Amino acid sequence: MTIVNYDPRLVKSKNPYPKGPNDWKRFFSFNTDAKVIGIQYIVTALFFLLIGGLLAMLIRGELITPPSDLFDPTVYNGLYTMHGTIMLFLFLFPILSGLTNLLVPPMIGAPDMAFPKLNALAFWLVPVFSIILLLSFFVPGGPASSGWWSYPPISIQNPLGQIINGEMLWIIAISLSGISSIIGAVNFVTTIIRMRAPGMGFFKMPIFIWTVLAAQLLQLLGLPALTGGAIMLFFDLTFGTSFFRIEGGGDPVLFQHFFWFYSHPAVYVMVLPVFGIFSELFPVYSRKPLFGYKFVAVASFGITILSLVVWVHHMFYTGTPMWMRNLFMFTTMLIAVPTGVKVFAWIATLWGGNIRLTTPMLFCLGGLFNFIFGGITGVMLATVPVDIHVGNTYFVVAHFHYIIFNTIAFGIFAAIYHWFPKFTGKMFYEGLGKVHFALTFIGATLNWLPLHWAGLLGMPRRVASYDPEFAIWNVLASIGAFILGVASIPFILNMVSSWVRGKAAPPNPWKAIGLEWLLPSPPPHENFEEDIPTVLNEPYCYGLDKPFVEDEQFYIEKSLKEH
Amino acid sequence: MLTENQNLTLNHKPGHIKHDGHNMTGFIIFLCSESIIFFAFFVGYSVLKISSPVWYPEGINGIDVKMPLINTVILVSSSFVIYFAEKYLHKKNLWGFRIIWFITMLMGSYFVYGQYVEWSELSFSLQSGAFGGMFYLLTGFHGLHVITGILLMGLMLLRSFLPDNYKGGEMGVESVSLFWHFVDVIWILLFGLIYLWQ
Amino acid sequence: MNTKIRRIKKSGFSKTFIISIAVILNITFSLLMGYWSYSWLPIQASEAAHYVDNLFAFETTIGTFIFLGCSGTMAWILVFNRAPKYDESNGEPLEGNLKLEIIWTLVPLLLVLGISTYSTSVNYKLENLGSKIKYDYGSEVPFVEEKKVFDYGPIDVISRQWNWEFIYPNGIHSSELHLPVDKKSNFRLITEDVIHSFYVPAFRLKQDIIPGSVITYSLTPTKEGVFRLRDAMFSGAYFSENQTNVIVESEEIFYKWIKETVKKELQNGLNPAGNLYQKRLRNGNRGWATVKPAPDPKVNDAGIESRPHDS
Repeated sequence: MTIVNYDPRLVKSKNPYPKGPNDWKRFFSFNTDAKVIGIQYIVTALFFLLIGGLLAMLIRGELITPPSDLFDPTVYNGLYTMHGTIMLFLFLFPILSGLTNLLVPPMIGAPDMAFPKLNALAFWLVPVFSIILLLSFFVPGGPASSGWWSYPPISIQNPLGQIINGEMLWIIAISLSGISSIIGAVNFVTTIIRMRAPGMGFFKMPIFIWTVLAAQLLQLLGLPALTGGAIMLFFDLTFGTSFFRIEGGGDPVLFQHFFWFYSHPAVYVMVLPVFGIFSELFPVYSRKPLFGYKFVAVASFGITILSLVVWVHHMFYTGTPMWMRNLFMFTTMLIAVPTGVKVFAWIATLWGGNIRLTTPMLFCLGGLFNFIFGGITGVMLATVPVDIHVGNTYFVVAHFHYIIFNTIAFGIFAAIYHWFPKFTGKMFYEGLGKVHFALTFIGATLNWLPLHWAGLLGMPRRVASYDPEFAIWNVLASIGAFILGVASIPFILNMVSSWVRGKAAPPNPWKAIGLEWLLPSPPPHENFEEDIPTVLNEPYCYGLDKPFVEDEQFYIEKSLKEH
Repeated sequence: MLTENQNLTLNHKPGHIKHDGHNMTGFIIFLCSESIIFFAFFVGYSVLKISSPVWYPEGINGIDVKMPLINTVILVSSSFVIYFAEKYLHKKNLWGFRIIWFITMLMGSYFVYGQYVEWSELSFSLQSGAFGGMFYLLTGFHGLHVITGILLMGLMLLRSFLPDNYKGGEMGVESVSLFWHFVDVIWILLFGLIYLWQ
Repeated sequence: MNTKIRRIKKSGFSKTFIISIAVILNITFSLLMGYWSYSWLPIQASEAAHYVDNLFAFETTIGTFIFLGCSGTMAWILVFNRAPKYDESNGEPLEGNLKLEIIWTLVPLLLVLGISTYSTSVNYKLENLGSKIKYDYGSEVPFVEEKKVFDYGPIDVISRQWNWEFIYPNGIHSSELHLPVDKKSNFRLITEDVIHSFYVPAFRLKQDIIPGSVITYSLTPTKEGVFRLRDAMFSGAYFSENQTNVIVESEEIFYKWIKETVKKELQNGLNPAGNLYQKRLRNGNRGWATVKPAPDPKVNDAGIESRPHDS
């Protein structure tokens, strides 16, 4: 290739943002820039993490003593229902959408998402359904209080008989959340399929992109089933139909099938991007190529496919026939195989590396450690006889919090710290980050490890009061929960103060390989604009003599200059 | 963000990614996802029908097939008609396209009218057990899609009068046509499920 | 870089030595965990319990081995592969190892096959101990199983929002479940409102009770004592109060109890949820909406609410 002088017109964006990057007002507007939307999602979600966490501490406050003495049991039921709903639909899904929005376009070299307006619409639905959900605290009768499963007949009992009730608002909020997720999923999948940088074939994509693709396809396949179930539940509740009412020939178990057909894969929708985050971060902080890139990439789709045929394991004791239980036990356990491939690959990536224990790496290691534990209890739960004993007890609660908080939220924190300098242009304070990690790890372990024993001894989940023999485990768990509450202080302090007055971040503070690290921090409105690098290799070639993109030096210098 | 980068040497050919023109991909993905809702309803219908000891509400032994059959024929043939409309558009015969497109709209509207007449003559309601609920849910949800399709076709018809409307391609017309075929296929399944499997 | 790794690699003997010591330690500890795991579970009070517990101990052993293997490796890496401050050089650039990757796909696969085969066989054993059959209302099949498959029963288990009632074959009603030890008793699980779950941790048994169907089930208690019966499927406001006792007695005492109870008048049975609801009404009905609890069941033996229980 001939050497030509660099033409500055190349970086002139077609649609530059009019007010410049430091205008904070854009975060409160219908902005179509994926990076703005990403931060909108993340900040909104973190706000709801605080609300959900507050509810969790109220729950743990009630459970610190055996009798139901802090609240009326009806209030307790509403609180735990809203805790679960807020944490899943207002924290985890939005924050992962946020990370996906931030990361997907820069990682594949795209200027923006395929449908920027739809993208903004998907985000602005979040405050809408959040407000609907929070308003349900104030309707007569209180919010939905039948658990986030919302199983009929309990969910359609509607004690006060009013048309507008907590359960109804809950269904509306969940359906809107579903619409938002579907819009998001269409957008992400189209972007990944159609807008990759030149040279970036499927087997040169970062693993995060693989996992996002796998997760969003799962959304597209599973979520409509829940929406269908939710519509029918809404009709039963509001218009007196009998889809799930036994009196009119309906079947309450049918809802459970609709619900779990989506809601089990939903866990994978959340955990897959976190697997992607692990796969991105371990190579960076151990300075080694990702071990077995192709295996790890393909394993994501193994998980997607298998996760569509495991839902009945939530219904082993509802009178499911024997052959079905054995079949779904087997498919459920099969998920351990692709998951194991990933876990072993991460450990092999760490092996012999040059480990740097930065805050994001600590969260990743903590998350992996917890995930191995949660995965093993998951296999235990998959075996029918054990599940029949511990199903619907605190063992399950402990297991899924090990996955959903101790793994997924840890991965999310790791991602926030890792990419914070890139998208805010500021470095965070390492010391506060480590305090955050230590408190989170201790709090989370203390909160959920003891609850396994409460479950094994037979303490049912969702109880407002319990027999005194379970007290010790619950006291420990409550202390852990309060430590987790404290852990949010260094985190908020760190994020806010770093963003306001932190040290300016260089384009590539971690010396990582990846298209996003070839951009200035923060990246310009349209990322690479009209000069997108041609990808030559997957982004994990640490210490290998394989260039990542054509003319890498040019992009590095360019990012440094614009910085 | 213009910067002074004159002294950087360019050692490569700048790559480019298309900003837009992904609508069709996105729309196909959306339709695949949308079909799952119908699929969920179909599964629900079948499960309830198989497991329920008494399926039809009291005093009803089945539903009339004759009128829905006429409706089905109209809707299915409209799928062929819309294909010809698209063909005219490809050949740049705008008036041919508009007329045939309008005929498709009329056929769709007839279907909705037929559905309305059928609903108003039925002796059971949404609350009449699992069957009543399922019947109105399925036909109603599908009917909503038909009405959406007709409205979208109207929009495309209006936009065909804009000058330069087809400069950027015929994506809109193609998507609506695809949607119409989708609505059609769903109806065929639905018809088989509700009317033929009695 | 990686001087420590290199040093270990140099002496092949010490590497093998360290690994074998680690594996032996791991196996020992895993077996111990499997042994300890029995003590984490409630008393084994039914025929099914030891099958479940053996499976759980087996899984605990294997799980501990994997967990310690992985986390031990991670700990080793964290101790010996830490980069010195300001060292930003790369580690060993290993891209993968096909043989290793195939091994760690196949070994978990075989393990999973093994566990699910074992667990399927336990499933069939439990099925032989007492099969669960779900009859939907309106189905032609009789709700009563053939007499020969059980020794005593069928006992109707009626669950409500929020109390339990048990009706014995001779027509007596009770608030606590009395069972003869070492005899196979048969139940018909019925709900009058929402989904409940019949859960006796000491029996390792949980069965959801679905509206619109009757589920028959048999089990054989093997230990005398008082065990908790808990509703394990969330059933509304006073869900956590929806508990009662299972009293397993010797055959003699059991039949004596039957004989005495049949003479007793019907009286109000246990209904802690109802009492709490009355209290709530007295205090001004504060709190969020709930359906009214079912009235006190009318039973021959009212039972004792605060009876001390064994597990």
